[in-house]
Amino acid sequence: MLLLDIRNLTIELRSGSNKIKAVERINLSIKEGEVHGLVGESGSGKSLIAKAIVGVLNKRWKVTADRMHWRGQDLFRLSRKKRRQILSNEIAMIYQEPSRCLDPTSTICEQLMESIPSDQLDGNLWDRKKQRQSRAVALLHKVGIKDHEHCLRSYPHQLSEGYCQKIMIAMAIAKKPDLLIADEPTTALESTTSAQILRVLKGLNQLKNTSILLISHDLETLSDWTHTVSVLYCGQMVESGSTEQIFNRPHHPYTQALINSVPDFHMELPHKSRLFALEGSIPTLQHLPIGCRLGPRCPYAQRECVKVPTPHKDHNHSYSCHYPIDYSQEKR
Amino acid sequence: MIHYVLRRMFLLLFVLFSLSVLTFSLSFLFPGDPLNNLSGYQEITVNELAILEDKYKINSDYLTQYIAFLRRIFSGDLGISFNSQAPVFEQVNRIFPATVELAVYSLLVSIIIGIPLGIISAYYHRRLPDTVILTTTLVGYSLPVFWWALLIIFTFSLHFGWFPSSGRIGLVYEVPHISGFILLDILRSDIIYKYEALRNALMHMALPTLVLTTYPTTVLIRYTRGSMLNVLETNYIKTARAKGLSPFQVLLHHGLRNALLPVIRLIGLQFSSLITLAMITEVIFSWPGVGRWLIESIYQRDYPAIQGGLLAITTFVIIVTITSDILYKWFNPVSRTQVDGKF
Repeated sequence: MLLLDIRNLTIELRSGSNKIKAVERINLSIKEGEVHGLVGESGSGKSLIAKAIVGVLNKRWKVTADRMHWRGQDLFRLSRKKRRQILSNEIAMIYQEPSRCLDPTSTICEQLMESIPSDQLDGNLWDRKKQRQSRAVALLHKVGIKDHEHCLRSYPHQLSEGYCQKIMIAMAIAKKPDLLIADEPTTALESTTSAQILRVLKGLNQLKNTSILLISHDLETLSDWTHTVSVLYCGQMVESGSTEQIFNRPHHPYTQALINSVPDFHMELPHKSRLFALEGSIPTLQHLPIGCRLGPRCPYAQRECVKVPTPHKDHNHSYSCHYPIDYSQEKR
Repeated sequence: MIHYVLRRMFLLLFVLFSLSVLTFSLSFLFPGDPLNNLSGYQEITVNELAILEDKYKINSDYLTQYIAFLRRIFSGDLGISFNSQAPVFEQVNRIFPATVELAVYSLLVSIIIGIPLGIISAYYHRRLPDTVILTTTLVGYSLPVFWWALLIIFTFSLHFGWFPSSGRIGLVYEVPHISGFILLDILRSDIIYKYEALRNALMHMALPTLVLTTYPTTVLIRYTRGSMLNVLETNYIKTARAKGLSPFQVLLHHGLRNALLPVIRLIGLQFSSLITLAMITEVIFSWPGVGRWLIESIYQRDYPAIQGGLLAITTFVIIVTITSDILYKWFNPVSRTQVDGKF
């Protein structure tokens, strides 16, 4: 059963009189127990999508969608309060700057304890504080923090980013969510810590069957352990499908370019040769090209590309391109 | 933290030292003979001259004179006033509590009113309550205090006759002077008409406090609102919301503490302008405080009194400012554990 099913999600920024479509008609679906990767360069709207799902975008943004189903319930049709309740109980989110997501004036202990819902506790009112405390310690152990005493006493600014991210994960899993949205969880961390964080996330997925929407710009982390991947460019979904399909047989020129741009050090690179990259740069939000937004940079672009391509679907693999890369000739 | 307090104390000492140098030099900068200005005796006979010259070390170098000046300050001798020929120190001591009382009550009122209104205003950002509060504060912010005071007197004491327009307490009540804070004195004394006196004192206090509190309240409202809006935009508030806490919980546990930190510092900074406004208010309401006394001394060129008054008020303001600095540090865990060199 589909956990999250989004059709034609559009996110607009109202600036003065004109509207800018920062994210345009995006489809996204996540199955239960699945790790879904969302890739794109910075500014492609990855974080916006995540924030729109959780509903923490501020009033300047306008979010519309044909449907946004959570376990078959349309989130947009629910009352604000009900929606809030579902979201906070079943979806959790971790952000890219963990230390800024923790309240600087209260201790880790207080913040962890308040994220434990009271319906998970039993017993008398006066036992609750103790229960919460022991639950908090258990949560910290779960995310791989061993010296819980020191950690619980500290304020966020006294801990490293890696610790903060682990604490964020601990707070996120306190509610035992069905979906965890991880918005670039490892960008602010150095590589050993980021490996630890990814291991924690992977463990959650495998042991608790938690679905994860992993937002990243790092293809290598995604290729390792996601089941399905969606590729974004400038707020348009260019391709989505299973990880294998995307990485081995990309149909969209942008996906291909992304994969090629990962430097491969096994291959003998000639001395002083250029690494692969698409020509040009990402357009700013104010000057988005019409039609396929990759158009001006695409090596295969033709006249047809000024129209927005409709997504083609081939089994579970969908791509929006007028001139997709064809593998049929190769087969012969 | 202790290190920080020590550093602040050192700053306090340094500022007080410069203040004493300034006050000392005033007696030479004021017109007239330094000996007159220092001692307060206007006509000095030959016999007195020898005694005073010895006491003020007027014929020695400046350093010796300055040290003698410091000694006199510490022993509570600020000379005598030109006008009343009474010791300045005792006068200041007697009337200073009246000013402190007025200022502290106004500050309390402004905190009690200003902070909640600022929070409400931020909570209803760009909606009706916010607009109403903001417009009102703009009016309050731009009212000149003397005009506002006159307006209040016209309305509440002359037209309606609800409150007395001047003084600290009715003439019929005789309250013994113990601490100088009139409410405390009334409560501690054992006069029979205690509650009538208390009521009367409160009535006298109402209008000056209302006038004086207007400016700090409006500043506090605007500042709290801005600070709260900043905090509400931060990521940790969004995280707290995403955790599923109710808006009230978010505000109480995460919003308030962070938003009120800069406000503590603002209160310290506002204190000096509060004292300045208190002087004007005292003059208008004939409140027997140090401000009115100082202004009168300035009119009459009573140099020893000016020196004494300045020294007292400035010391008080400096101490309050530094205390608020220390409090800010104390309440803020981020800066509390920070190493030196940062605020």
